[in-house]
Formats: sequence, C-alpha cells, structure tokens
Amino acid sequence: MMNRIPAAGIAAVILLSAASIFLDPYTQYLVNLIMSYVVIAVGLNIVLGFAGQLSFAHSAFMGIGAYATALLMAELHFPLPLALPAAGLISAVVGLCVGLPAVRVRGLYLALVTIACLYFFSWVFVHWTSVTNGTNGMAVSSLTLLGWRLDTDAQKFYPLLITMLLMMALASAIMRSRLGRALVMVRDAELAAQVCGINVMQTKALAFAISAFYAGVGGGMFAISISFIDPHSFGILQMVTQFGMVLIGGLSSLAGAAIGAVLLTVLPELLREFRGAEELLYGLLMIVFIIFMPDGIAGFLRRRGWLKATDLGGRAPSRADRAINRKTVAQNPLHESEQP
Amino acid sequence: MSRTTSPALDVDSLGVRFGGLIALNNVTLSVEPGQIHGVIGPNGAGKSTLFNAISGLVPLASGSVRINGVDNTQLPPHARARCGVTRTFQSVQLVRPMTVLENILLGLHVPDSLLKRGCRDEELDRAATVAEQLGLKTHLYKTVDVLSFRDQRFVEIARALVSNPRLIMLDEPAAGLASPEVDELGDALQSMQSRHGFSILLVEHVISLVMRLCERVTVLEYGTVIASGTGKQVMADSNVIKAYLGEDFDA
Repeated sequence: MMNRIPAAGIAAVILLSAASIFLDPYTQYLVNLIMSYVVIAVGLNIVLGFAGQLSFAHSAFMGIGAYATALLMAELHFPLPLALPAAGLISAVVGLCVGLPAVRVRGLYLALVTIACLYFFSWVFVHWTSVTNGTNGMAVSSLTLLGWRLDTDAQKFYPLLITMLLMMALASAIMRSRLGRALVMVRDAELAAQVCGINVMQTKALAFAISAFYAGVGGGMFAISISFIDPHSFGILQMVTQFGMVLIGGLSSLAGAAIGAVLLTVLPELLREFRGAEELLYGLLMIVFIIFMPDGIAGFLRRRGWLKATDLGGRAPSRADRAINRKTVAQNPLHESEQP
Repeated sequence: MSRTTSPALDVDSLGVRFGGLIALNNVTLSVEPGQIHGVIGPNGAGKSTLFNAISGLVPLASGSVRINGVDNTQLPPHARARCGVTRTFQSVQLVRPMTVLENILLGLHVPDSLLKRGCRDEELDRAATVAEQLGLKTHLYKTVDVLSFRDQRFVEIARALVSNPRLIMLDEPAAGLASPEVDELGDALQSMQSRHGFSILLVEHVISLVMRLCERVTVLEYGTVIASGTGKQVMADSNVIKAYLGEDFDA
C-alpha cells in the first residue's frame, strides 16, 4: 500500500526543485530555511519522540553546528559537503558528552540538566567573543562547492535539498533498524528492554548523539540559509519553536516532524506584520495540540490511514508475508485454533 | 551430572533482601537443557523476585546464577540476556504503539550487539515464523494496543522465543486467560518446546498447567524452597499442602 504522505512529500520536493528556477529570492530563502528546520525537527523527534528523553538542549546543539559550519568554511576553507557533516560530528560529540551523564537522571531532572546545558552554551556563544564574535554575530559567507562559489539563495538550494534528503533517508534507516526499535522500547518498556539485551544507558546516550548530529547539520544548513548568525538565534525561543514543530507535527513520526517544521517556519513569516503575535500563537497552538491532538498532525494522518502506523520497520511487510507463506501452514497443529 | 551439558540454569543458594525483608533465602535450583521446570508457591512466596534476580533486575545478597554454564552473577541485565536467557513479565511489557511484528523483532537484540547490522530479511523471516507458530499471523501489522489480552501474552512469548534462547522464563503466562486459552497456551508451549528444545522456567498459579507441562517442580514459600521434585511428589508433600491449605488441613 502506498502511503500518501511520503508520496506527497516526494512530489513536493520534485515540484520545488523544478520551480526553484522561477522562485523569487524571498520564497527561495524561505524554502531553504524550511529544509534546515526539517532536519533539526527530525533530529529533535528522535530524542524526544522516539526515545522519549526530554532534551531541551537541542537549540544549543543547533548553535554549535551553525558556528562550526561558519567557522570551518571561513577559517579552514572547508567546502560545503565537508563542512556540514563535520559540524554534525562536532555537535554529536558534544551531544554525547552531555548525554552520557544526563541519561543517568530522568524525566524532570533530565529536563533541568538539559535546560542548564542550553543556558551554558548560550552563555558561551555570547562570551567566547574571539570565536563567536559575541552578540555582534558573524556573517556566513565563502560557501564553496567543488570550487564553485555559492552566493544566491537559488544556488544554495540544491546542496541544501540533497542534504535534507540524505538526512531524511538516514533517519528512516535508523528508525527501521534495531537501534530505532530499541529507542522506542527504552521509552515505553525500559525493564523489558534490559532483559531483551538492550543496554539502556548506551541507547539513551546514542539517542542524544544522533539527535545532536541532526541539530548540528541542521544548524549548519540554517546558518547557510540565513547567512548571518548570532547567539540570539539559538536561545530559549528557538527551543520552544522546535518543541512546537515536533509536538504539532507529531511525536515519534518522521513525517510529522517534517510537517511541523514546514508549518512553524512559514507561520512566523506570515505573521511578520504582527510582532508579538508569533509567541502568542505558538503557545496557543501547543496548548490546543497537547489537549486535543497529543499525537499531532501525524497522529491524525495515521488514523486516516494516510501515514503508516509506525516508522519502525513496517516498510517491508510484503517480505514478511512471503516468509510466512513459504512455511506450510499444515505443519503447525496450533493453526486450527486460530481464526482471523 | 555430565560436564559436557551444563544446566541451562543453575541457581545456587540465592539470597535477596529488601531492607529487613528476606525475599529469597538460600534458593537453589537447576534446570537441565530441554527441561520444563515449574516454580509454584503462594502469593508473596518470592517467585517473581526469583525471576528478577535471575534476570539481574534486583541485586543479590548472596549466591550465584549460572546460565548455560556461564557465571552471570556480576553481569548487568542486558548482558545476561545475551547469554541465551529471555523472559516474559507477569504484567505484559510490550511497546503498545508498535506493531506485533515490530514487537517480536525487539526480541532479536540478543545475541548480537546493538549496532551490528542484522540481516533484515532473516530477521523478518524469523519473527514471522514465530508469529505464525503462535497463531499471531493475522495480527502482524496491527499495533499491540488493539489486540486481546490473550494475543498480547502470546506476542510477549513470541518476543522471548524469537532469538532461539536456551532458557525462557515465563512469569504467570496463564494469568488472566480463560480456560480454553490456557489449554491453547499449554499446546503452544509444548509444541514450541519440542520444536526448538529450549528449557522453560515456569512460574504459574494454574496448577493444572504446571502439572501438565513440568517434569520438575520447585515450591517456594516465604522465599524458601519447601519442596522439589516431580509434580506428583510435590503435590503429595505435606509441607506443600500446609503452605497452600493451612496447618489444620487433615490429609
């Protein structure tokens, strides 16, 4: 059965790629920004939705990725295809360093530890002026790809698109693997996870590292999209926005995170006229969703059958069906007792 | 006892304390390969604690646990699971938003390491086969929360069986099942056991199921082994009758 939402996503990507020749610079910029947030939100959903760990440090990891990308390109002349994964790895290492001690506490305590972490990195972004240029921020320029310079939003589009598609494919592969299922089992049945041979601490720390990798790469894409970064971009409002994307899009759904990222990137742009309305609307939307649609838009789509029930390995049902059909039903005496 | 076939499970003078309470006291039991071993006893006798101690979920005050000849006493729970022992829980511990197939696949984290890439086809094959053998074939792509209680129990058993363990520990698998479902469970366990040859350690209150399946039975009361032997032997044991029916029972 073809799932409509992934199909719609692929169609949208193809349309966008074709249309990007005709898009005006502002719309193109917005599309670039959306793609960055898709990667960031998918990463947050891995740790928050799938692994069920309250991590409030995601916007700090995003900042680390953004600064790392900008600096790697400006100072070390890294080309784009090298700078983004490098930024992701730096962020992942930091994420692992935060995650390893943090996963020893849970729930509210984990939330507090990660909020402290967010504030720590915000402080570093402001005060480590020799590297980050403090509150003055820094321009993100000197993008190169195979010796070509990328200056316009349209030129940045294709590398960003490819990065996003790769990151989505990777996320999908992770969730369909043992690791993906282990993340969810650690969330929902920690005791049973242990007796199933899952190292709970290692799995949680890995969730932090993977999500920080996504935040790092997404942060790099963000820096490239908006061409200018300052500490203000990676603070508490950023964190709230990202939580909004995941909650509204749908916890533990890759497509949901992507949908949430699109919505909450476009929405503030539409509300530019009404300063202040943005925060108000975020808050209102999140309350409405938490009360009336706790599984977000993805939950709604799943109930309608437009999105498959889980991202955790249901991709190859036909194969499993074949495996069953290969076995002769007759050899099992139990089978008579089982009626569909 | 021959050296070549070490017992699937060897529990030696196991003690567990919760503060001042002695939950298990000097419990010794051994399960031979391919044997179905029952553990019975009144509520609070320490049966589930025994399982938790063997799984490594509660710390030991004394004694040792050997699984397939490997000393597990110092190992964390996930490492014990990788020695070839799996279990189910008295209250079903499934991942509700996952499908039946995905829940069964969770059993395949043993014996390989987390990041080692398992062959996806083979994994699906094994999960689907076990599901079919336990009569879950029609439910594979349903999420667990829509299943009946009986089917949820069977999914948990399937998850425990899918990795081909040497020993599977079942904690009251018949609890909450209707009488024909208990018979079906007995049939399923017997057919799976004869097919795969694993050992079973079975905690159960439904005595008829224990009598039907188990070659040997250990009876616990207040954390202490009060009888051990074949089903008939322990049922005739005066200590057991006292534990179940009280002191004044006139036999």
